[in-house]
Amino acid sequence: MAGKVLGLTAVDQTSLLRIGILGLISLVAIGSRLYSVLRFESVIHEFDPWFNYRTTRYLVDNGFDKFWNWFDETAWYPLGRVVGGTLYPGIMVTSAAINNALHAVNIPVDVRNVCVFLAPVFSALTAVATYKLGKEVQSETAGLLAAAFMGIAPGYISRSVAGSYDNEGIAIFLLVLTFFLWLRAVRLGSAAYAAVTAAAYFYMVSAWGGYVFIINMIPLHAFALLAMGRYSNRLYVAYSTFYVLGTLASMQIPFVGFQPTFTSEHMAALGTFGLMQIAAFAGLVRAQLPAQQFQTLVRAAVVAAFAAGCAGLAVLTATGAIAPWTGRFYSLWDTAYAKVHIPIIASVSEHQPTPWTNFFFDLNILIWLFPAGIYFSFRQLTDHHVFLVLYALFASYFAGVMVRLMLTLTPIVCVMGGISMANVFESFLGAGPTSDASTGSANSSTDSVGGSGGDRKKKNPAKAVPKRLAGESAQDGSAQPAPDGGDTQQGQSARQKRLYALVPRVAVMANFLYFLCMYQWHCSWVTSSAYSSPSVVLASRAPDGTTHIIDDFREAYYWLRKNTEADAKVLSWWDYGYQLAGMADRTTLVDNNTWNNTHIATVGRIMASDEDTAYAIARSLDVNYVLVVFGGMLGYSGDDINKFLWMIRIAQGVYPDHVRENDFFNDQGQYSIGDSASPAMRASLMHKMSYYRFNEVMGGRAFDRVRKQQLPSSVTLDNFEEAYTTENWMVRIYRVKDLDNLGRSHHAVAALAGRRGSA
Amino acid sequence: MKPAGMHFPCVAALCLMLFARTLEASGLVNTNMIRTVRLTQLPFVHEQVGVVVQNEHASKAFKTYTALVDDEKATHLASIKVHERKSGAELETVQVDGGRYRATLRRALQPGEKISLNIETVFVNTVDARPARVKQTEDQFWEWADAPLVPSAYATRKQKTTVHVPSREAATTFGPYFDSNANTTQISVAFKSNNEQLEALTHRREYLVSHWADDLNVLEHYQLRSRAPENDGPFDKVAQTVSKYMKVRDNFVKTLLVKVPADAREMYVVDEIGNVSTSAVSGRRHRAAEDGGSFKIMQLRPRYPLLGGWNYTWWHGYSVPLSSHLRTQGARHRLKVPFVGSIAGCAAADDQLSVAMAERQNTAVAAYELRVVLPEGAANIDVRMSLAADSVRRQPFSYYFDSSGRTVVVIKRRNLPPDAAHQSVLVMYDYSVLSLWQKPLVIATAIFALFMLGSAVNRLHFGLAGKSHKKKNKKQQQQQQEKTLDNSN
Repeated sequence: MAGKVLGLTAVDQTSLLRIGILGLISLVAIGSRLYSVLRFESVIHEFDPWFNYRTTRYLVDNGFDKFWNWFDETAWYPLGRVVGGTLYPGIMVTSAAINNALHAVNIPVDVRNVCVFLAPVFSALTAVATYKLGKEVQSETAGLLAAAFMGIAPGYISRSVAGSYDNEGIAIFLLVLTFFLWLRAVRLGSAAYAAVTAAAYFYMVSAWGGYVFIINMIPLHAFALLAMGRYSNRLYVAYSTFYVLGTLASMQIPFVGFQPTFTSEHMAALGTFGLMQIAAFAGLVRAQLPAQQFQTLVRAAVVAAFAAGCAGLAVLTATGAIAPWTGRFYSLWDTAYAKVHIPIIASVSEHQPTPWTNFFFDLNILIWLFPAGIYFSFRQLTDHHVFLVLYALFASYFAGVMVRLMLTLTPIVCVMGGISMANVFESFLGAGPTSDASTGSANSSTDSVGGSGGDRKKKNPAKAVPKRLAGESAQDGSAQPAPDGGDTQQGQSARQKRLYALVPRVAVMANFLYFLCMYQWHCSWVTSSAYSSPSVVLASRAPDGTTHIIDDFREAYYWLRKNTEADAKVLSWWDYGYQLAGMADRTTLVDNNTWNNTHIATVGRIMASDEDTAYAIARSLDVNYVLVVFGGMLGYSGDDINKFLWMIRIAQGVYPDHVRENDFFNDQGQYSIGDSASPAMRASLMHKMSYYRFNEVMGGRAFDRVRKQQLPSSVTLDNFEEAYTTENWMVRIYRVKDLDNLGRSHHAVAALAGRRGSA
Repeated sequence: MKPAGMHFPCVAALCLMLFARTLEASGLVNTNMIRTVRLTQLPFVHEQVGVVVQNEHASKAFKTYTALVDDEKATHLASIKVHERKSGAELETVQVDGGRYRATLRRALQPGEKISLNIETVFVNTVDARPARVKQTEDQFWEWADAPLVPSAYATRKQKTTVHVPSREAATTFGPYFDSNANTTQISVAFKSNNEQLEALTHRREYLVSHWADDLNVLEHYQLRSRAPENDGPFDKVAQTVSKYMKVRDNFVKTLLVKVPADAREMYVVDEIGNVSTSAVSGRRHRAAEDGGSFKIMQLRPRYPLLGGWNYTWWHGYSVPLSSHLRTQGARHRLKVPFVGSIAGCAAADDQLSVAMAERQNTAVAAYELRVVLPEGAANIDVRMSLAADSVRRQPFSYYFDSSGRTVVVIKRRNLPPDAAHQSVLVMYDYSVLSLWQKPLVIATAIFALFMLGSAVNRLHFGLAGKSHKKKNKKQQQQQQEKTLDNSN
């Protein structure tokens, strides 16, 4: 044992060191997520976060009861939205609680800042939870490495930078925490831990729809253990407690309600719960029967029960007693499903299948360490490792199917990476020197790097690798007791041997250190370059290196907020619904909740129809303003003309007689916007609103910078009038004209007055 | 000149004459009255009424003179002052009720005596655009309109009104009218003026005093509206873009110029949805014309240029060293801060901005609130200022880590006059060294208490089969063993 430093024993030193390292990891995790705030400002990002922010504000301002019973008549006009019953309240309640706690000690922070910095703070907690998970399944070294990976893994950062105030921000922490608690509950067979697991699960249910992953993963683990013949009372206690408490708790969230009792997603958990009871009963029977008979009986019973369960499930699903799988779930099995049947799901970029490059982009070296981790898990294959392997398999599949689910994969990849890296460290730094020392002399620790490292790491396998890892520690442990002494000749050759052994060790370690540095480098680069843009504010770089902020979205939203009637209805494509509600504070027709496909299709139809049809529908829906996003001036490719095909597709799904996708391609089959565009395209409201009078300011032969096509030479707009257009023409707002006082059509009025824009 | 409404209703005339009779009985008579209206600093309308008052009462001497303000105009009144013309001395003037203001003469006016008074009033936002709607690039026209006769508590023998407008050299004169007989009910002047006019519907200025940081934080919250005529027809982006590149004048207020002290630092501009990233601060220091203090100019660009009738809400702030505003005598602190800051709207393009533009006053504040947040522990607070306030209150307030809370002095006033920008407020308070150390001590105590609590909880054991139990059991076992040993012995 090393001597005391600062009055601390070696054990205290290592735990202090661990706390220090974890603290640093937390700092790095928080710090690397602050790029967006430093580059831009403390602002809520993207789309969904604006809804979360708005509801959090509402919760803070009006209290929990009002929040819970909130019917928002300013969304989905004229339908409205029952907000309290259609959201996961976890993140709002968390922020409101933090906000109120801070205000209670007289720290008058703004709710917005609480929301902006929530995800980074929770990512630090995620790192700590990952450490606990790694420690639980392997060792403290693995835990620390996993935590370090987790802290900065881009796959997780993508959803948790400062300002990205979304459910995932806290949900990943809860996911890891729940899994850690579950594994501990299984190991200890502790009802108390299982209850805590259920509580964490409840929090998760309240926070993110991804809780379904947990409620399938844990039963799967339990089932796998059952099937592997690893049933134990510990598993019984853990699972039964967890399932009963967790399910009851999850049903308290209005949005989830009775789903755990009748939807397919939750049936696996219920079935496993039943199996568990049967297995427990079998255990009781086992005590009464001879072993061999019992084995066959159990096998038969389990198979029969499983078959009966599946058959029952199929029958109930077919008869409709159990709700069928939702569309999003189907698209998990068949990636082309959504594109054909539910264009609205397919139109969201985060629901697309993951391009393979993303795996490397988001995980870097971890993607290589991951299989190694699975291999090491297979070598040990305790109950915990069964879980890890299952988690790894399923999460990889889902991550491959949907970009967004990269999030659920990241924790396991980090843990697996931690495990394999810890194995590398332990074999090349820890166990290595000691096994060498067994043949070498006592003064072998001249090599300071390996020696001191070994000194420290030696404790890890000895202390942290628990008895349950008997196979692994036996291998290392056999070499541990070093026979002292040995004669000098032997010592000489041993020293040479050690020197030779040192070369590969140094080489390997240098290599891995390099990889680790590259990982950190890569993560920082990805975070700063790809994931730190608020998307509400854009930045462009001038040739001289100065940044130019493009703030058109907020310009338009703020204009609406301050210069339109408080009850004005603003029609836009659903992408901007949450932002409109949050920043412009005006009534919207559709938003990012996308719960009503028909309503969205109606909006799509307005955009795709000719002026008169659009005017009639818009007036019937009390629309006052129409907002379109147009990137032709600036070259912003995420604009509405580029999204237009999805609008058409979605509208066609509901109104096949009125909107046809083929009409919008010209004779050459091109999606054109200029003079060669198809008649339907040129007549459509979206096209007119985007290009209205645009060519006047761009001169005669100007180009649309996104489409790289020549502009249409004449665009007329009679039923709508320009209300505001932002500095870079990115957002254009039109007012829906009132009916003419003399009952004429607006076309006639415009023809009389002399049209603009028809140049 | 546009005399409007040529007929004079008989009933009104009769009433007026009756009214005049009863007034005459009081004994004071305005023998001559000249009203001068200056419209050169819109939206501020300066009215000066020069009046010769004679005491025609047989025996009574008068100590006061009552000035009247129309009910309708009273809501726009920003200031009223009465001067003695000969000496130039300002007379003490108090509001009696509604639109009646009573000035106390320096010396009682004896029967037969005469005195010349100047009644100076400033109104805000009484001039409206005619036509109310113009196109983006068209000129703006305005119309001043008022009753031909100046309301007075006394009979007026002779009066006339002179109006100065920005676009013309020559003044327009109405009258003279004798014995309150005007041949019209309304007089008006129309003129062209493209000068920017803005109205701050609400304006709140906050001072936050921090002795620890030697920091006086200033926060200014504005709810602004452009008073320019509204846009005729739809918004025209093409015209706006063209006039921007062709450098043609248009009616958009594009920049707001805010004078900030030269030693201001940590400036920010924020509105309800985040930073307004388009603002800048001029690096140069400028010397103020009036008080010689130096200042910088904050160039603040609203998210969108303001067309007539458009609103914009935002707040900005900065810090200045507290020491330049605070004088200390023992525990007594005297904080002297400007009553209100200045802001000027500007329709000129960026490259045409000038310092003179920042010095213009074209923003009228309709409802003003000044808040001075004093440090925690400030006592015996005394507020002095030269400008009359509608209300001065003290409110409790809690800020970062406050334990006992602090006091905010809240001063409210409607319709700020243009000279308010040169006024200051003096807040005096006692602040002891103990108060200075209160916060660190409270925080230290709280952290120490938390530490103690944590360490106490750590030493307790809550489990059913805890360590202590085991120890006890072990001890008991040992004792038992010993006993059995004893017994066996």
